[in-house]
Amino acid sequence: MGNFEPVIVAFCCHYCAYTAADMAGSMRLSYPSNVKIVRVPCTGKVDTKHILQAFHKGADGVYVAGCLEGDCHFKNGNIKAARRVARVKKLLSEIGIEEERVEMITMSAGMGERFAQTATDITEKIRNLGPNPVKNIRDGQKQPA
Amino acid sequence: MENQNTKQTNNKVLIIGGGVGGIRAALDLAEAGRDVVLIDRSASIGGLMTQLDRTFPTNNCDLCTLSPHLSETGREHHIELLTMTELAELQGEAGSFTVTLTSHPRYIDLEKCTACGDCYEKFKDCVQFKPGLDHRAPTCMRYPRAIPQAFSIDISKCKDIDGLVSVCKSDAIIPDDTEKKRTVEVGAIVLATGAELFDPAVLDNYGGGAYPNVVTGLEYERIMSASGPTLGSLVRPSDGKQPQKVAWIQCVGSRGINKADVPYCSSVCCMYALKEAIVTKERFQDSIEATIFYMDMRTSGKDYERYRNRAEKEYNVKLIRSRPHTISEKPGTHDLSISYALEEGSRNVTETYDMVVLSTGFRPTEEMTVLSEKLGIELNQHRFAKTAGFSPVETSRPGIYACGVFESPKDIPETMAQASAAASKAAGNLDILNEMPASQEEMLPERDVTDQAPKIGVFICDCGFNIGGVIDVGEIAAYAEVLPNVVVAEVAGHGCSRESMLNIQSKIEECGLNRIVIGGCSPRTHEAKFQDMIRRAGLNRYLVEMANLRDQDTWVHKHNPDLATKKAKELIRMAVSSVALRHPLTDHLLPVNKDILVVGGGVSGMNSALSLANQGFKVYLVEQALNLGGLARKVNRTLSGDDVQGYIQELIAKTTAHERIEVLTGATVVDHKGMPGMFTTGIQIAPRMYYRQIKHGATIIATGALENRPQEYLLGQHNAVMTQLDLDSMLEKQPEKVKAWDHIVMIQCVGSRTPENPNCSRICCQTAIKNALRIKDANPGARIFVLNRDIRTVGFQEDYYREAREKGVIFVRYEFDAKPVVTGEGDQVLVSFRDPVLEKQLEITADCLVLSTGLVANDEATEDLAMIFHLNRTDDGFFLENHIKLRPVDLHVPGFMVAGTAHSPKDIRESIVQAQAAAGRVLTFLAKDTINLGAGVAKVDGKKCAACLICVRACPYGIPFINAEGYSEIDPAQCHGCGVCAAECPAKAIQLMQYEDDMISAELNGLLERIL
Repeated sequence: MGNFEPVIVAFCCHYCAYTAADMAGSMRLSYPSNVKIVRVPCTGKVDTKHILQAFHKGADGVYVAGCLEGDCHFKNGNIKAARRVARVKKLLSEIGIEEERVEMITMSAGMGERFAQTATDITEKIRNLGPNPVKNIRDGQKQPA
Repeated sequence: MENQNTKQTNNKVLIIGGGVGGIRAALDLAEAGRDVVLIDRSASIGGLMTQLDRTFPTNNCDLCTLSPHLSETGREHHIELLTMTELAELQGEAGSFTVTLTSHPRYIDLEKCTACGDCYEKFKDCVQFKPGLDHRAPTCMRYPRAIPQAFSIDISKCKDIDGLVSVCKSDAIIPDDTEKKRTVEVGAIVLATGAELFDPAVLDNYGGGAYPNVVTGLEYERIMSASGPTLGSLVRPSDGKQPQKVAWIQCVGSRGINKADVPYCSSVCCMYALKEAIVTKERFQDSIEATIFYMDMRTSGKDYERYRNRAEKEYNVKLIRSRPHTISEKPGTHDLSISYALEEGSRNVTETYDMVVLSTGFRPTEEMTVLSEKLGIELNQHRFAKTAGFSPVETSRPGIYACGVFESPKDIPETMAQASAAASKAAGNLDILNEMPASQEEMLPERDVTDQAPKIGVFICDCGFNIGGVIDVGEIAAYAEVLPNVVVAEVAGHGCSRESMLNIQSKIEECGLNRIVIGGCSPRTHEAKFQDMIRRAGLNRYLVEMANLRDQDTWVHKHNPDLATKKAKELIRMAVSSVALRHPLTDHLLPVNKDILVVGGGVSGMNSALSLANQGFKVYLVEQALNLGGLARKVNRTLSGDDVQGYIQELIAKTTAHERIEVLTGATVVDHKGMPGMFTTGIQIAPRMYYRQIKHGATIIATGALENRPQEYLLGQHNAVMTQLDLDSMLEKQPEKVKAWDHIVMIQCVGSRTPENPNCSRICCQTAIKNALRIKDANPGARIFVLNRDIRTVGFQEDYYREAREKGVIFVRYEFDAKPVVTGEGDQVLVSFRDPVLEKQLEITADCLVLSTGLVANDEATEDLAMIFHLNRTDDGFFLENHIKLRPVDLHVPGFMVAGTAHSPKDIRESIVQAQAAAGRVLTFLAKDTINLGAGVAKVDGKKCAACLICVRACPYGIPFINAEGYSEIDPAQCHGCGVCAAECPAKAIQLMQYEDDMISAELNGLLERIL
């Protein structure tokens, strides 16, 4: 437990958050390597079932990163995504998973620093929460081969 | 208009000089369907930029930014590249020139040379390399990715010709190669020869060339460069040790009046010294002390002042205002001692440094003088191309255009803009092409892979040190090789280079690969390139996936190679599992609307509109005010004395009279939709605010900026206090009043370079000097004081700064934390300030106080437009271009260009350059008859659809509808590809192509498969 390294999935929209992540790269800003990005055209494309799938498969945290409010390349995909994330939070807490494990974040394409800072903050938060409870259940169920 | 009578049937342009400017001009013309002959004296193209280590402000590797452009140049069908070639003779006139070109023998057959290096290995002495400025270059090609990728031979040095010929396995060596002459018919010529850098060895006080540890800025770049002589380790030439104290001396050979000096400012040295100092500090932190000695820190470009602030505050670069007189070398140690006088109290200091970098500037070459004689064009007093004030790229001979440093010293973004402008002007001498010639590339037919099991090829780039310097790319490839469905996994060097691409292509064909993963940089920048590549290899372009190992891994985890390696493997696993599910997709093509919307009717907007209309395009020019002309209506003269009002009136007359320009004044943009090549923009037109829609294929944003009027120094409260624009108008309308003034004080940087508005407004120094000289003309006895923080008269503006001092205008420095204090005294004002040289507080009772307030973005307007058009802005409200270095007039949204002060503060001449450049970029954009909407659209599976209407309601654009068969239908031509419908559909009847649910699932599984 002492060396718990969370696995975090970040669904990033192509136009803002993914570009901000690249920007963090060109500015050589370092952030935890725990965060892995899945690129989507718009956070409006992030399906509830994919967020849940990530938790189901053992991700310790998930966040959806889109454009700033009003800046969505597709008008309001980020607002729809935020609504979905709120719904997932509810679902998670109903089944006993901390709702803080999923977040909606917004940033503009130029915010490399914000991307790096968000990745750092969220990794720290999930590290403090400990592993995804799903893992314990699975570990308990695992039978020796 | 001006070019119509010169149009001939000739559709070729000759470009002389293959540096970044020449390459940009060639690419622009080629993309617009024009043929280009690009010649360069050197054995390879790329010019000075290939020698640089990194470029500001992102401190990116130059080679990495430039090499994609170079391979474009090598490949583009419309470009004929002739290296080692010079112009011998020119005949004819604009529209039908006949040029004679001389190509020097290379002794190597370009078709056969594979750049294997065998000849260089065995015959180092006679395999020629153009050392450029670096006599210690490690390879005989000027840079590792040279174009053309081939060696050249100096046959006179070869003693064993037969031996040399036989060493080449490709039979590429031609010992009896000869000089070749040929004539070419061209319609126009673009000069982009660049310039050379001053050689400080002729100065005896700095020890350049004599002391080993005194190097020029460019030599320092080479020492820092991964492809340089020390492979990137920063060491002193004298003893190979890492220096602890490095000093830069600015303006070496520039801004001087001594024998070897030139009087003008070289424009780029302040920024490159800051960059070199920052990169040094970035790599070595506190173990190296970096000091820059400067006269005026000229960081007046877009966001450059912020860069300077970062150098000082974040990186602890020491900036000392002083021009050291002498460097002396300490015997034995080769350490260097610099004596300098501080401005403050003229105190003398001596300090020792391990290494000194001389910031040397641009000098016109002998070649430029010879070439100008052959071409019959005039040079200015500094031996750069002579151009008229309002025709910044036109030389004295019609049909011949100049860009880049050949016109005046300038940096890369300005060169790029000017190159696009010159290309656009040159195209105006050619026929209007109704049909652009189609690409002649023979495409392999697409292989049908629908029923095949995935056979994945994984290629891992090292991107030089960018990836390979952090993680072991071989280990990643070996890891990828055993993943499911992977048939081949290899390292690919610079995967985007021509030879790597050819290699991957042949691997695809050889091994029958049907899915490809590239582990390299960001798909944002390079996906299209790799899609094109696999298409050339006979695969559908959507069967490639990129794993972002550079921007999102090695760049951010460079201090922890183990974690970076682990993450790289995970990213590859994700890409491999998702690419397996990719399937061929078809692009949707639509006809392009060739009309253009120009927003903003000032100098920039009108210039863009006229450029395009003259080339046969229909332009809608929308201006919010009731008159055309913009801010320039308030300006009477330029620094060089040109009549602005005359120019504006002529421009307005031409614009309004043009049959292909529809001017809409009093018009506000209110909505916008569509996609690149087929936009629809709604405007409301005063006074009745009636609504109208304009359909257009491309858009130029030229909305200008506002005069800054900060509430400071009694502006607006006292009659003697005014801005430079107010003064300009008084000089014209009330000259008697101006004549009566005895004492005039000007304060610079009012409202700029402050914490609230950190950037420099660029135009205020030249404006102050312009107006000071005008006052002096009217009243030579007037006493004028210019209180300043730096005087930033870049390039040839320096001549006027000198003239002002000669005429007795007094320039006094003030510091930001000790600003002048102004109090009213009847009709006059009392200005109190501290003179740092005299170390005294001085007071002047001034008849007039002029504030140099510069320009600020029209924040409200740019915010609205950014929202309507989905454009990005900088922190200070200007529009943010696509790439600050290489694409300075393109915006992030394809089909949108920016021109003039909507981009950043700039003068009229610079605005004209950008306006013409924006028009040129639009020409390239509209050259195609169809636009490719890509394949990323939503598709409905009618069998699963329950017609629940959720997609109809969710779509931000209202595209889905329930069709006659009773299920939802989405028109691919109208779908924007956001995927909201797919995510909301409860039956999962909708899939967004390229981002199908099973692919995202697979990507997640690839990452998470081993966790539980």
